[in-house]
Amino acid sequence: MHRPLSRRQFLVQGGKVALGAGIAGSVLAGCGGGSAGGGAVTMWSNLEGAEAQGYFTKNIERPFEKANKGTKLDVTFQPPAEIDRLVRTALQGGEGPDIIPTPGPAYAGEYIDANLFAELDEYVNQYKWDDKLLGWALDLGRSEGKLYAIPYQLQTMLLYFNATLFEEMGLQAPRDRDELEGLAEELNGQGIVPFAAGIGDEPAAVEWFPTVFWNHFSGPQALYEALSGETPFSDAVSVDAIELFNSYVQKGWFGGSREKFFSNGFDALHADFGDGKAAMNIEGSWFMASAADFFGQKAGNENDWDWAPLPPMESGVPQELYALGIGSTISVNARSENTDGAASFIDYLVADKKRAADYMAAIPSAFNSPLPFENGDFPGSMDERVRRQLVSLSQATDKGNFGYTNWTFWPPKSTVYIQEEIQKVLTGAMTPAEYCEGLAGAFSEERKEGLVPKIIKPGA
Amino acid sequence: MEVNEQTVRSATRPGGGVKRSSGRALRRKRLLSAWLFMLPLLLVNVLVILGPSVATVYYSFTDWSGLGPAEWVGLQNYTDIFSDGDFWGALGHNLLWTVIFLTVPIGMGLGGAFLLSQITRFQMIFRVLYFIPYVMASVVNAALWQNILDPDRGVGSVLANFGIPWLDGVSFFGSERLALPAVAFVDNWHWWGFVVLLFLTALQSVDKELYEAARIDGANRWQQFVNVTIPGIRATLVFVVLITIIGSLLVFDYIYIITQGGPAGASEVVGTLMYKEAFGRFEAGYAAALGLGMSFISGIIVLVFIYLRRRGWEI
Repeated sequence: MHRPLSRRQFLVQGGKVALGAGIAGSVLAGCGGGSAGGGAVTMWSNLEGAEAQGYFTKNIERPFEKANKGTKLDVTFQPPAEIDRLVRTALQGGEGPDIIPTPGPAYAGEYIDANLFAELDEYVNQYKWDDKLLGWALDLGRSEGKLYAIPYQLQTMLLYFNATLFEEMGLQAPRDRDELEGLAEELNGQGIVPFAAGIGDEPAAVEWFPTVFWNHFSGPQALYEALSGETPFSDAVSVDAIELFNSYVQKGWFGGSREKFFSNGFDALHADFGDGKAAMNIEGSWFMASAADFFGQKAGNENDWDWAPLPPMESGVPQELYALGIGSTISVNARSENTDGAASFIDYLVADKKRAADYMAAIPSAFNSPLPFENGDFPGSMDERVRRQLVSLSQATDKGNFGYTNWTFWPPKSTVYIQEEIQKVLTGAMTPAEYCEGLAGAFSEERKEGLVPKIIKPGA
Repeated sequence: MEVNEQTVRSATRPGGGVKRSSGRALRRKRLLSAWLFMLPLLLVNVLVILGPSVATVYYSFTDWSGLGPAEWVGLQNYTDIFSDGDFWGALGHNLLWTVIFLTVPIGMGLGGAFLLSQITRFQMIFRVLYFIPYVMASVVNAALWQNILDPDRGVGSVLANFGIPWLDGVSFFGSERLALPAVAFVDNWHWWGFVVLLFLTALQSVDKELYEAARIDGANRWQQFVNVTIPGIRATLVFVVLITIIGSLLVFDYIYIITQGGPAGASEVVGTLMYKEAFGRFEAGYAAALGLGMSFISGIIVLVFIYLRRRGWEI
């Protein structure tokens, strides 16, 4: 999967780096810099799967050590579902590695407040991160003007569909709510589950759906106003979005029935999607990393997948809108004895466009560095669908057509509220209005405490 | 040994002051040796039990998030427990769990042990078979039953292929009504074999002549069971009841693995709620108060047993 550079590509890439970012600093940073402080750098990673971990070891870890003689990088892969708890326990005990991941800026905020992360501003200048990384993403790692976390795993929510099934049935990806509902009715009538869905393996994954309905029904402007405290989450525009999501679940469109939505595990629902028992799947861009396991020969079927942007579900919502998400951040432990080495590796991992593009091509969506990519930046080996998604996201973001994922732009307790209490709406133990009222209360408390991550205005 | 006896004898004689003091020195030496032997274990206990326990008591009076400094909030966490609907719902599930485990596995264990005690051939095979689920990791057991009870691929759909459709499509772990009993079923599957072995061991110590006497008196199997077996294994029965009650109050693993307390809290117990409070909602102080509350309830149950034993109950 990894394709070596041709001489022409090398010259083009080299020229871009030299022109775009200043000669000395960028060349140093791009090469790993040889600027690591030496000694050992320990890191915990949430990278999952043997292929991804193997790629990381071979193409990131070892080349970094080679480029930085005397620096030993010691990476421990931790289970993604457990890593935040492990980090929390380790930091609480005054331990933990030099480089620490979190599940997103909202979580990083808690560690920053507890003074557990090192300030990285001197490295912003040294490695020119302000020039290299997307400004909005870098701002999410800042607290009171100081940088503590580098965001990566840029992600968004998408509508995946079983392309083979759609072709056989003469269907097309829906472009608005009427088409979406018409399609769901038709598929349901034919015994095909409209959307493969389930939270049996990870109940917190239910948060994808409020995120989708708030972005594509309420719209990014309404969300911006709620997130910036101008309007409360208890407004009708937020409540109606939850009503709509609930009605889809009650109709059995997600996972086949409400009960199955609660109990379906990821492997089972993805297998149904690949086999054509379910036609669509609303999931984040990360699904691209594992889609090959459920489609084609490897999965024992002859089906193929594709994706489309989630359609607007109300007038006034942009046709092509992507909810922005940051799946992970990395920071340096405030107790690290090798902050220079840790920062050097963070730059090596995140800020080099060529290296990041190769990584993103080899392991789709597992990494996704927040760099300003263009179509030509990606190697030819990259899956066309992955490339299209990255470029579309970049173009739509440039036009200001972006929304907000709750795991990125909501503060931690509000995020947990969204994840846990929505189940009560689906079982009828709570009304959508009560749910949104509760969220408004939790959000307001955290807003007063200054825990809401920095938000960018849609269209900006 | 000889010296010791001589020392003791001397110490009891009048005018044996020197010898008496050397006896005390010896006792002190023995005491010191004993403490030295116990010291490593004591240190481990202080480090891993007493230390965290004291810290938990302290944090239960604070608003600690699990990170950074903690602010003293007095009894706030404890008063919050009383108005926390999630807690009372979870405690109710603990009580229901207790009722299930005081009846189903104990009933099955007694019945299984009684039946096993009646056979001699293949008894060991059955004992091993019953015991296997107990030694399997809870994650493995849970995954096994998640597959067996899968609404689309599990036993329900297999039975439907044979013309028995009533379990087809039933989502045991996704239904608010079925989730808690379904997880209890899985936990019971792993637990009851252990109970059988405990009761079987106890049954083997019951005097066979008592059964013979009962038969001569005209007792049938059921009367033998009630009037000979149960009194004969009372100590084991009480022990099983005690660990069942405490285990039910502290239950966590199967529920966390299979449903994580869902759907919508339908299988939430205090253990899973506590975990969520500490690691999900970042309310470690409140979680500490919940933990101490449950320890308090467990402590009362143990004290009741001790009290009854002191009052002469043969338990």
